[in-house]
Amino acid sequence: MSDLKSTTGQVKVKEKSYQMPPQDGFTVAAFITVADIERSLRFYEKVFDGRVVSRGDKEGAPGYIEIANTWLIVNVGGGPTPDKPTVTLSVPPDPDKVSSFMNFRVADIQACYTLWRSRGAEFITQPIKKYGETRCYIRDPDGYIIEVGQSDPGVTYG
Amino acid sequence: MSKVQVEGKTYQMPPQDGFTVAHFITVADVERSARFYEKVFGGRILTTGNNEGAPGFIEIANTWLIVYFGGGPTPDKPTVTLSVPADPDTVSSFMNIRVADIHACYELWRSRGAEFLTEPKDKYGETRCYIRDPDGYIIEVGQSKPDLAYG
Repeated sequence: MSDLKSTTGQVKVKEKSYQMPPQDGFTVAAFITVADIERSLRFYEKVFDGRVVSRGDKEGAPGYIEIANTWLIVNVGGGPTPDKPTVTLSVPPDPDKVSSFMNFRVADIQACYTLWRSRGAEFITQPIKKYGETRCYIRDPDGYIIEVGQSDPGVTYG
Repeated sequence: MSKVQVEGKTYQMPPQDGFTVAHFITVADVERSARFYEKVFGGRILTTGNNEGAPGFIEIANTWLIVYFGGGPTPDKPTVTLSVPADPDTVSSFMNIRVADIHACYELWRSRGAEFLTEPKDKYGETRCYIRDPDGYIIEVGQSKPDLAYG
């Protein structure tokens, strides 16, 4: 636990505000390959109160959804493209083999579990207590897992 | 506590109300990944975690990157196993860094050790290129054309 406490009080509040598109520096978004842009936009809009910024188009423009402090960008699979000549994008071939995922840190996990479930989110399990946090996972319409986690009181991040 | 401002609203980690979105990647070496994201993107390492299950946390611009070793299944995801990318050329999701000046970012991040797949290339609506991180994840770097209202 010493590691968990070592960052206490070191944070300087920043004045910088992030926007999309960025006017300077950079802003971090997440991209997921989806089977149906409109279905994904509606899911993230309905469950998480996301704000749909663009619905994309058939010429390759992705869908954009503002969710809390970031943006989710969704598009259909394909490739390779000239800027990634060896890479192919597809929806998850095996939803149980995972490397990366969106991680939603919440202030009240029981409230989020109940609210998001009532809006149609499918949770793998109910919130389960573990080392340092309480946690559960949602499956999105393409099978991506979304972690939902609340840190124990006294944890200074996460 | 760690916090960022996005379009006028402040988000904290951990959140005091509502929720804050972070990005998780499975890595082979937490320390190596934390150093990479710190050095290349000016990220701020909040913790490098420990071996008892606490992950590394890096604040990067408006969000947080959470990095930890693979494993599982766990009671809260009984069918799911986490691993570093099995095939770095078969990809479903990735971090997407939207930038104001892609050529400046390309030069700066390259000088800090980032490996780009190609130089920035012009395409429909944007100019784009990709970085490989130490575990083989792709990171999109993109600048939208001036008339685009988003992205």
